[in-house]
Amino acid sequence: MGHPRVDAIVREARDAVAAAQSSAELERIRVGVLGRQGELTQLLRSLGTLAPEERPLVGAAANEAKRELETLLDAKLATTLEGERQAERRRTRLDLTLPGRRPPQGSLHPLTRVHDEIVAVFAGLGFSVAEGPEIESDYYNFEALNIPRDHPARDMQDTLYVGESTLLRTHTSPVQIRTMLAQKPPVRIIVPGKVYRRDVADATHSPMFHQVEGLAVDRAITMADLKGTLELFAREMFGPRSKIRFRPSFFPFTEPSAEVDVLCFMCGGAGCRLCKQGGWLEILGSGMVHPQVLRNVGYDPEEVTGWAFGMGIERIAMLKYGIDDLRLFFENDLRFLRQFA
Amino acid sequence: MKILYGWVREFVDLRLTAQQAADRLVNAGIEVASVTALAPDCKGVVVGEIEAIERELGASHGHRLVLCRVRTGRERYAVVCGAPNTKVGVRAAFAPPGAVLPGGRRIAAAKIHGVESQGMLCSERELGIGEEHDAGILLLDGARPGADLVAALGLDDHVLDVEITPNRPDCLSIVGIARELSALTGARFRPPAVALKESGEPARALARVAIEAPDLCHRFTARVISGVTIGPSPAWLQARLRAVGLRPISNVVDATNYVLWELGQPLHAYDHATVADGTIVVRRAREAERFTTLDGQERQLDASMLVIADPRRAIGLAGVMGGANTEVTEKTTRVLLESAWFAPASIRRTSRALGLRTDAAYRFERGADIETLVTASARAAALIAELAGGTIARGLVDAYPRKRAPRPIRLRMSRVKRILGVAPPVAQARKILAGLGLTVKARGAELAVTIPSFRRDLSMEDDLVEEIIRVWGYDRIPSTLPGGTIALVTHPAALGQAQSVRRALVGVGLAEVVTHTFSDPARTSLFRRPSDRPPVELLNPLAQDASWLRSNPLEGVLAAVATNVRRQQPDVRIFELCKTYARAATTAGGAQPRLTGASGSKGEADVSEPARTSLRPPSNQAGLKDLVTIEQRWLAIALTGARGEPGWSGGRDRVDVYDAKGLAEHALEALGLRAGSGSGGALGGFEPDCHGTLTGEGGVILGEFGEVAAALREQLGIPAPVFAAVVSLDAAGAGPAAPIRYQALPRFPVVERDLAFVLGGDRPPTAAQVESAIREAAGSLLRRVVLFDVFRFPDGRSSLAWRLLFQAEDRTLTDDEVNAIQERIVRRVTETFPITLRSG
Repeated sequence: MGHPRVDAIVREARDAVAAAQSSAELERIRVGVLGRQGELTQLLRSLGTLAPEERPLVGAAANEAKRELETLLDAKLATTLEGERQAERRRTRLDLTLPGRRPPQGSLHPLTRVHDEIVAVFAGLGFSVAEGPEIESDYYNFEALNIPRDHPARDMQDTLYVGESTLLRTHTSPVQIRTMLAQKPPVRIIVPGKVYRRDVADATHSPMFHQVEGLAVDRAITMADLKGTLELFAREMFGPRSKIRFRPSFFPFTEPSAEVDVLCFMCGGAGCRLCKQGGWLEILGSGMVHPQVLRNVGYDPEEVTGWAFGMGIERIAMLKYGIDDLRLFFENDLRFLRQFA
Repeated sequence: MKILYGWVREFVDLRLTAQQAADRLVNAGIEVASVTALAPDCKGVVVGEIEAIERELGASHGHRLVLCRVRTGRERYAVVCGAPNTKVGVRAAFAPPGAVLPGGRRIAAAKIHGVESQGMLCSERELGIGEEHDAGILLLDGARPGADLVAALGLDDHVLDVEITPNRPDCLSIVGIARELSALTGARFRPPAVALKESGEPARALARVAIEAPDLCHRFTARVISGVTIGPSPAWLQARLRAVGLRPISNVVDATNYVLWELGQPLHAYDHATVADGTIVVRRAREAERFTTLDGQERQLDASMLVIADPRRAIGLAGVMGGANTEVTEKTTRVLLESAWFAPASIRRTSRALGLRTDAAYRFERGADIETLVTASARAAALIAELAGGTIARGLVDAYPRKRAPRPIRLRMSRVKRILGVAPPVAQARKILAGLGLTVKARGAELAVTIPSFRRDLSMEDDLVEEIIRVWGYDRIPSTLPGGTIALVTHPAALGQAQSVRRALVGVGLAEVVTHTFSDPARTSLFRRPSDRPPVELLNPLAQDASWLRSNPLEGVLAAVATNVRRQQPDVRIFELCKTYARAATTAGGAQPRLTGASGSKGEADVSEPARTSLRPPSNQAGLKDLVTIEQRWLAIALTGARGEPGWSGGRDRVDVYDAKGLAEHALEALGLRAGSGSGGALGGFEPDCHGTLTGEGGVILGEFGEVAAALREQLGIPAPVFAAVVSLDAAGAGPAAPIRYQALPRFPVVERDLAFVLGGDRPPTAAQVESAIREAAGSLLRRVVLFDVFRFPDGRSSLAWRLLFQAEDRTLTDDEVNAIQERIVRRVTETFPITLRSG
């Protein structure tokens, strides 16, 4: 082989490596043999003290031994390190069933959700949003809508007054008047907003609630268009199989007027608790804009026709989410609100 | 209004069940709230006659007990009874052993005061058909002993509770509903026929009528019935009245009520003897005239109200209620019967002003039938004569100064199609309108329609369009989508703004709330500052604690915090998009900085942004003053308790004022706005020493934040500190949003330096002041400044450490360059403020 001294070092080192248990031990062995003060390094450094003919022999043997030991050490180190890493991981293993660290969850109010949905459906049909003040004049809220003073139709909406002829709007319909006064036909608007009635709060009444009003006025608008539009709305809102029906009704600002029911989506019309066995759910009021209302805003009822509808956002939300008490919307209990996250 | 189905069928040949009839009505626009069987929940109760009162059994619970012998057909029963109205010969409701009373109470023979009682004589209440009990057993004069009670009372029937919309006063009667059902089904309508037997003196010799206010009373008729005997009505009539919710009073009064229900015409019977000279004057009340109505209440009238008077005094409140001074009593022998027509608006005003809602006023304010009132008068007179005896004087005294002139309406079938999108054949349309009682002549594709007096609601062409489709069926209207040109869909800026803010805040874990607009004046003192605009107050609030409108944007969110804290949810992080409301009056002390509202920021002509609303309608009747108000839009945020969801990995930190500030800044950023900050603010409700502002360009205040005043939150019952912020959405939306512009990414490395200053002394500068001095001194190479550490020494001084990032666009900065800038900064800051560089 090589040289007796080199062989001895290699043999000793091989045994040590074979017996080594940890990466630290291997590192010690490497330093003891191959390090700056290591046996093999010192041997190489002392070549000058050897006989000239011995030098190349010992040198070659030592270098070969160095390469061999380095390879040996690297190989053993790799397996040892892997073992140690795994042992370390075993020791510090995470319980992955601990709950994840989640950012706090916010929530939109259910009325906002329904509002946004309604606005989106009608925007898709070419309706722009219009808004108006909540404190209104008697004129816009009643008179311009064909509800004169001292008319029993005023009983349909018990009113909160803030001045002699100033009140909290009882519906979003005054925005119809404001919009039509401000622009020429065609008109296609929806009007979401807060409205007020002098009603004591209970499971189905509230002195404040939200409505969405729709208004379309053009040269050739018919009640059939109203029906088609609302049918489309019902399908978007309550599912593709939704059906609606019109029932005659009375609103002073529409003629003819229709109450609109949607086929109960819980029972499909068979009758259940939600629809009180009737099979239908009342969702909104609507009708053809009364000619007098058109005249009040300077439109000619022989030139244009129009329809309007109004629905309670709370009512739609209650049906959609199965909420049985209107007061929940305004109590703002977080356990309620978070259900709409 | 309750109607009895059997009564309706007297006037129309219907082969429908009550429920089927109700469904037809609903489909034609007449709501039916309920259909209820009238028959009481009892079995085996019959008519019994008290043949004899055998003996007295003494008193029990203050009642005199007697043993009666009761006959039902061939059977005889010994019955113990304590009612005060037992009398030999009377017929009454009798439950023999085996009969079942409401609630499943089975009657059996039982010992009372040691005597066996074979069954029970029953009161209304015991039978479940009325409230009466103390007056005694239910008497059934004229009924056949042994007959079934339900049949004897005509209770084998159904009550329909109909809800009549204000436009259909003609349906506020049995006959009106019958006519409607006839039109809907084609069944024959039989209007009531009156067989009137008049005799003796002509009525005009006994009664005179003068209408002094022909604008408020278009017609007044009188009849006189002499020789009447006042007493109770027969059982069948009483049962009918009870079934529809009326209280039987006496034969004469019951007759007028019966006709009111049957024909919809309110009538009034006066004791003729009490009407001076038998003369009726229909006049306006005198200012402050005092008058006692039938209910015994003295009322003060005014000149807008109409009264029925005799030459000396008022004897009735026209169309609303009769007077106590001319009431029919047991002594009455001659009756003056009024049947009249009053102007609806006047009746409504009077009835509301006096808080007196009666069946008569309800019908007159909706519009009675000026022609049918003659029929009603005759029908009532005949009924009075039948029930109370007496003779009807010849003729009707009829003051009818301005006769109604029916106006024909032209109906174009093309209009029907134009409105509905569909139209029936003209012959069908004609049939429908005729079925409703209208007179129709066809003229090609047009109909000439004359409206009868009972349909005051039909005044124009489109009204007839509705009648046609209502009867023809709304389900015949097809479904189409509107054509025409579609304009660009545009939404108001406010809507986009609200959506941006919502998205931003929900994204960082806040819950949106929606709260009531009303506020409690007792509480708002804590929310308001003297400089605030005057609040908007409700004139007719539902409750005192909800009688103002919200004037501070925090009111709603704080109430919501209080609710949750009270319900064991101490960690609340919420926001609301809300409005505040104020009267647009200027107040003293306007020098204070205030949040700019929407006033002036948006054109007032824009209907979608009427933040400051001058409510001046084109024509304001009666010259009533409109209140000018301001509605401002806000974002309000409130936080209390833990910052996050407390869990195993933290979240237990408490929120503080910087959370409130940061969330407001976050919302502003979502609107494209960066805010500076200052201290103080204009809104009430904050702790004075923990209250700051967020300012935009030119120092405009965009928002405020701080700790909620302890006194306020304690009053709301919130124990832990609450931090809040508001953003004025009007102010935030006033300026143009900054457009987004891309800037090239830096190509040269950043040089980082940390600087810490120790702030102390009496009036240490604020962090914002120091930071702005740093920026100014640094110049353009300073890219970012981050305050990364705040440390408070026990002695009150504090150390603030900033990390400064320098960077040039065109070269790598050298240490020397940055050192020079740093020295400039330190010099500037320490020279400007009494603070020192923190060493080490």
